[in-house]
Amino acid sequence: MGVARLKKAELYYHKSVHEKIAAALQETGACQIITTSSEENQQKISDVEALIASIDEKLADVRYLNRTLTPHYVDPIPSLDRMLGERPEVTMSELEELASKTDLKKICDNTRAVEHETGEVRLKLSEARLNSSILSALEFFDYPLSVITEGTRTLTGLIGTLKAENVSGFKAALGEFSKFAQDSELIIAPFDEKDKASEIYAAVIYSRNIEAEIRETCAKNGLSIVEIPANLTGTPAEEKEKVTASISELEAKETELSAKIAALAEENVPTVQKLSDYYNSLSARYNGTAKSDATECTMLTKFWLPANKADEIKTKIEEIGPDIELVLNDPAPDEEPPSLLNNGNYVRPFNILTELYSSPTYRGIDPTPLLAPFFWIFFGMCLGDAGYALVVFGTILYVFKKYKKIGTGVKDFIRLFLFCSVSTFIYGVISGSFFGNFIDSFVPVLIPLKNSLMLVDPMTNPMQVLGISLLLGVIHLMFGLLIAAYDKLRHGEFIDALGENISWFLLIVGLCLFGVGLGGMLPPHFTQIGQAMAILGAVIIFIYAGKGEPNYFKKIINGFLALYGSTSYLGDILSYSRLLALGFGSAVIGMVINLLGGLAADIPYIGWLIAVVVIIGGHIFSIAINILGSFVHPLRLQYVEFFGKFYTGGGEPFTPLTLSQEFVNVKA
Amino acid sequence: MLGLSLALFGAALAAALAGIGSAIGIGVAGGAAAGVMTEDPNKFGSCLILQALPGTQGIYGLLIAFFVLNKLGLLGGAGAVALDWNQGLQILASCLPIAVVGWYSAIWQGKTSAASIQMISKKPEAMGKAIILPAMVETYAVLALLTSILMLMGVQVG
Repeated sequence: MGVARLKKAELYYHKSVHEKIAAALQETGACQIITTSSEENQQKISDVEALIASIDEKLADVRYLNRTLTPHYVDPIPSLDRMLGERPEVTMSELEELASKTDLKKICDNTRAVEHETGEVRLKLSEARLNSSILSALEFFDYPLSVITEGTRTLTGLIGTLKAENVSGFKAALGEFSKFAQDSELIIAPFDEKDKASEIYAAVIYSRNIEAEIRETCAKNGLSIVEIPANLTGTPAEEKEKVTASISELEAKETELSAKIAALAEENVPTVQKLSDYYNSLSARYNGTAKSDATECTMLTKFWLPANKADEIKTKIEEIGPDIELVLNDPAPDEEPPSLLNNGNYVRPFNILTELYSSPTYRGIDPTPLLAPFFWIFFGMCLGDAGYALVVFGTILYVFKKYKKIGTGVKDFIRLFLFCSVSTFIYGVISGSFFGNFIDSFVPVLIPLKNSLMLVDPMTNPMQVLGISLLLGVIHLMFGLLIAAYDKLRHGEFIDALGENISWFLLIVGLCLFGVGLGGMLPPHFTQIGQAMAILGAVIIFIYAGKGEPNYFKKIINGFLALYGSTSYLGDILSYSRLLALGFGSAVIGMVINLLGGLAADIPYIGWLIAVVVIIGGHIFSIAINILGSFVHPLRLQYVEFFGKFYTGGGEPFTPLTLSQEFVNVKA
Repeated sequence: MLGLSLALFGAALAAALAGIGSAIGIGVAGGAAAGVMTEDPNKFGSCLILQALPGTQGIYGLLIAFFVLNKLGLLGGAGAVALDWNQGLQILASCLPIAVVGWYSAIWQGKTSAASIQMISKKPEAMGKAIILPAMVETYAVLALLTSILMLMGVQVG
């Protein structure tokens, strides 16, 4: 329970066994290497650095192939299955063999060649498509385009576009130009006179000696010149035919190339993925030992390991050879080891809730077992429906039955919901909610059974559930205060524990007893006890707040200010009313779905079908949206209200050296 | 019939205003999510969860609207209950907390969600904190929902 005890290991060994040692440390998956190397010993571990460099080279190839080929690869394993651990299983030695017989360079070269060719084809294709669109617009032009692109000995020309409304002006301008009439010709594409804003193609052919004047006239009249690619020399009709032919040829080529790259992907991606995990594992391994200290021939690697695995790891390392010395020490008081949560099967799924916030420090309190029961209850109250609980429970059991190789992290997260579905079921039964009011609406036979099991009824008596929610809130908050007090007492801070935590505990519990007693729900002497506790608590708070303040006037001000802090407790407690609201929310959404289903059932002939679709689809939606709310809000109650009293986290999580398992399950 | 009209107006406000708020909030968060996913499509799952957070206000509004319709006997063909204008106004008042708070809180929650989405694009491991920040805003929508529910339960009709 709590934060696992760690040992600090110092491992001295000869450089010749470095690779074996590194492999052994990684395979245990329980060693976090500590950086001990410094600038000056970089040279002494140069052989490790060389090893890393050679792996990085391979990794670069693997990454390139992954990036290029994966988009063309159809994974035969569905991604959900992959996430749930259905992946190829390999051992490191199999991977080593695969790596030695795979010619990564050759695959890279093949891929690059195809990629390069594809790029060229695409470039040509876009050029051809552009030409094709220009040529379609030039159908009005009957001369060979060489007149424009090359020109004859005396003639040349240009093609451009201008607005329809400018056409007559342009014609007039060219007409005025006296030399134009004899030596040149203006050809304008057919256009619709009414559409004044449309862009019209126009070609001008003219004698070379008046080029400058012509260009000036064009510019003045708003004709913008279109560059005709130099390789177009025939008439537009001829060229168009050629371009169309080349487009279809290029398209065929492109299809062929993408088939080629798909074939490359299909052939190589599974290997590349395995090698990716292999080389990433090696890279992590040697980057780990590169943190070691070294002399000419020996190395010193320091690492943290869980105390309960020390013997196992020691045996494993000492098997490697005789020139090895492993020294295990407890962490020194001034050292801050990383923290590893070590909880049993029932609490471990809740670890993620703590880790999402912040890991505890090595010597701090692990809040996981403390928050677990509250989160479990709160989740149950928020989702609060026996039917939904059964759906969640059944789905998870099915997943666990079908998928046997789910990774620990994912499995624990799913188990969190498995556990919480139990509390949801319990609360659903005692609050009479089964797929909303499904029983009342559709199976009246079961109403007496449902009613006999009901202990609370949020629908007709919400104040009762509100009271329970707030009471749970008080218990949760007071529990947090007691943990804070315990933590302070553990460190001998008796006065602070009394002034900051126990005093508030007395005040609030006292006020609650007093209030409940006044309401007549408890025997009268509880009222007096409550009153006494509250007054005692308030006095301690008042005095503690003035501690260390020499000025009596300020002492009094501080005291009142501290008591004013009780409003924050009021806010904290009222925050738990969300338990009622969310539970209510899921019940009413369920009710609405059943109601809509019932209304749909009245439609003649196909009503029952629509009703079934509405009810099933609606409840699935309701489960999804309510699980999100039921996860987030109880989590907030832990983080803000509960942790606010005693927990700050701030520890460094334990991150051991492990094998990379991005694509395949790698076994040592 | 003024009473019935007022009550229906309340139901309409609850569903419409809270729905508008959620639509804006989800829209804002969705824009941020799309931006993050162009860089890293693998973040779809976490982005979707953060985007969905401001959606609850719309559901709360719908829930209150149905609550009112049910109270008025408009669901299930039994016929509407008789209601004087005073009772109608009471129901309208009960709808206001979730209508107004749902509207505004969803928009601000959407902005917080968008910021959280930006956060996980840089630090995917901070998902827990990223979920909690928008949930802080939602608290007030939950409180407004609770207020509306308790008020509606207190109103006597028929």
